[in-house]
Amino acid sequence: MRVLLVEDDADMAQSLKASLTADEHDVEIAGDGELGQSMALNGGYDVIVLDRMLPKKLGVSVIKDLREQGLSTPVLMLSALHDEDHRVEGLEAGANDYLGKPYSTRELLARVKALWNGRGREAQTRLQVGDLEMDLLARIVKRGGKKLDLQPREFRLLEYLMRNSGQTVTRKMLLENVWDYHFDPQTNVIDVHISRLRSKIDRDFAQSLLHTVRGSGYRLEA
Amino acid sequence: MRPGLALLRTTTFRLALVQAGIVLSFVVALLIYVYLATVGQLNADSDILADQEYATLERAYGEGGIRRLNQEVVERAARQGPLLYVLAEPNGVIITGDFPQLPVLPGETVERIDFTFERPDESGELERGRARGQVGRLLNGPILLVARDLGDTALISGRITRALWTVAAVGILFAFASGLAGAWLAGQRVEALTNTTRDVMAGDLTRRAPVTGEGDEYDALAVAINAMLDRLERLMAISRTAGDAIAHDLRSPLTRFRHRLESALDAPPDVEADREALRKALEEADRLLDMFAAVLKLARVESNPDWRFERIDATEDLRELVDFYEPAAEEQGRTLCGEIADGLVLSGEQGLFNQAVSNLIENALKYTPEGGRVEVKAVRRPDGRIEIAVSDDGPGIPPSERERVLERFVRLESARSSPGAGLGLSLVAAVARLHRGGLHLRDGLGDETHHGLCAALVLPAIDAAAAR
Repeated sequence: MRVLLVEDDADMAQSLKASLTADEHDVEIAGDGELGQSMALNGGYDVIVLDRMLPKKLGVSVIKDLREQGLSTPVLMLSALHDEDHRVEGLEAGANDYLGKPYSTRELLARVKALWNGRGREAQTRLQVGDLEMDLLARIVKRGGKKLDLQPREFRLLEYLMRNSGQTVTRKMLLENVWDYHFDPQTNVIDVHISRLRSKIDRDFAQSLLHTVRGSGYRLEA
Repeated sequence: MRPGLALLRTTTFRLALVQAGIVLSFVVALLIYVYLATVGQLNADSDILADQEYATLERAYGEGGIRRLNQEVVERAARQGPLLYVLAEPNGVIITGDFPQLPVLPGETVERIDFTFERPDESGELERGRARGQVGRLLNGPILLVARDLGDTALISGRITRALWTVAAVGILFAFASGLAGAWLAGQRVEALTNTTRDVMAGDLTRRAPVTGEGDEYDALAVAINAMLDRLERLMAISRTAGDAIAHDLRSPLTRFRHRLESALDAPPDVEADREALRKALEEADRLLDMFAAVLKLARVESNPDWRFERIDATEDLRELVDFYEPAAEEQGRTLCGEIADGLVLSGEQGLFNQAVSNLIENALKYTPEGGRVEVKAVRRPDGRIEIAVSDDGPGIPPSERERVLERFVRLESARSSPGAGLGLSLVAAVARLHRGGLHLRDGLGDETHHGLCAALVLPAIDAAAAR
């Protein structure tokens, strides 16, 4: 995957580039907003990681212009402050995801991958991972042909995991996308929800689908 | 600048000047009115008198010709009354009358005239006077003039005018003097306030403005300034202790962080142990960053007024929050239940609202012993506000400490060992203030000896029906 990283802090940029490269992405760096914008338009990248505070042109203006010029490449916006108003502003400008500093590298890698995998998934009405099936219209979940009884919130949690099957989703991603919460719970709330879901989809079956990724989050995979 | 000049620059003195100007224009207006009412009226009276006399004499001329008229005029002129008479030939040559020349040779119509005349007085000297009356030609040409001597009228109007100017001068002087006195008195009071603020600026935060007890606007101002100084002093104290607290709270994890890295370096190389040390160090770093994020967030809530407010369906959000935390609470052996009234709607910042309520729930869960119970109760109070009360049956907070725990970085000794930066309740209180509400702490679900804690977030509601 080709990633454009628009970040003015050279140390930070090099460190992120190293992590992304280790995750088998091709990374190019732009040090300011104007350069970032022209590279984004001409470089044919798969994902753009864009800092909010940039010299010459702010991230929000860059993304606005890119969207006006018809570029639909997924953009992950980074910000020093993870505040609701900044997040909404970034998303309204056209960013696909928003990550506040401090974030862990794992979090960033997971988000970049999710953005790439997330392209054009809206059309799906049926999701399948191994023998786990989800009918989004009838709102029915079956595993091995046997119907599972899920609460609405568990359904949404599973839906998100299935849409991102095969890749790691972080607790923060679950929190933001399933509950639309943008704070850090101090307790292991997400883990408990996951373990309840796991008991419903995995307990009676030989093969586990919902895996814990130590230090990062979870992965649903057949 | 000399104090006298400073007095002239005060607002009160300027107001006094304006006042003097108003008195002056009032006096001028009064003058005009009195002049019209007295002199104007006298003129009108003399016009009527002269008209009547002219008509009478014209009639006498009609009845008895020039001889009769001549006789009448001579008789009247001899009377020395207020009216003056002159009878002349058609060519203007005087026949008889009070003075020896016509001021004007009239045309065909009767004219009203104001004129000055000269006539010899008793001692034979020429006396000048002003008169007003009418002059005209009678049938066959003789000229008749009847006028009123204005000598007395001019005298009266002169006296009135002088009296009015005297009053005006006294009034202006009085306005000027009262302005100076007012400026001086106000200056004394304001100077006391100015001195106080100057002392405070110089660093003496304990100085307070004097309150005289007269209950006037200067007292009100002094009371307000003192209240502001109280708050400032408290905030200064808080930020001082906050600085100490943050240094203290950050030093322990930073020391652990450093120690872990150092001992990993000192120990013989071992991949497993090194990785473990790195993992622990990362956890410490995350904790430090979380603390910084919390401090920054609190500062932004307290100082930044331009948050985006939107309609919040509190009923739905609170039920979801309870559902969100309920499994984790159960897992930890605590009961979490919600009793949320329908139709609670407010205007607020969604993210901060969720965060504030989650802070209260997490706080309650943290300080409730295993087997304990946490209740989230939300109602619309009779005063129309929404109260979100999170109660627990934990150890509670003594009433004397309740206000203090809302300040940032304050953690009671009993809580020092558990994780957290002591910012949770401060943030909730700040969010409440941002929404023009409040956070109140009272006894919770406990019993006589064991009070528990209830943290009640009170926020202004918007009418659910109107908001739809």
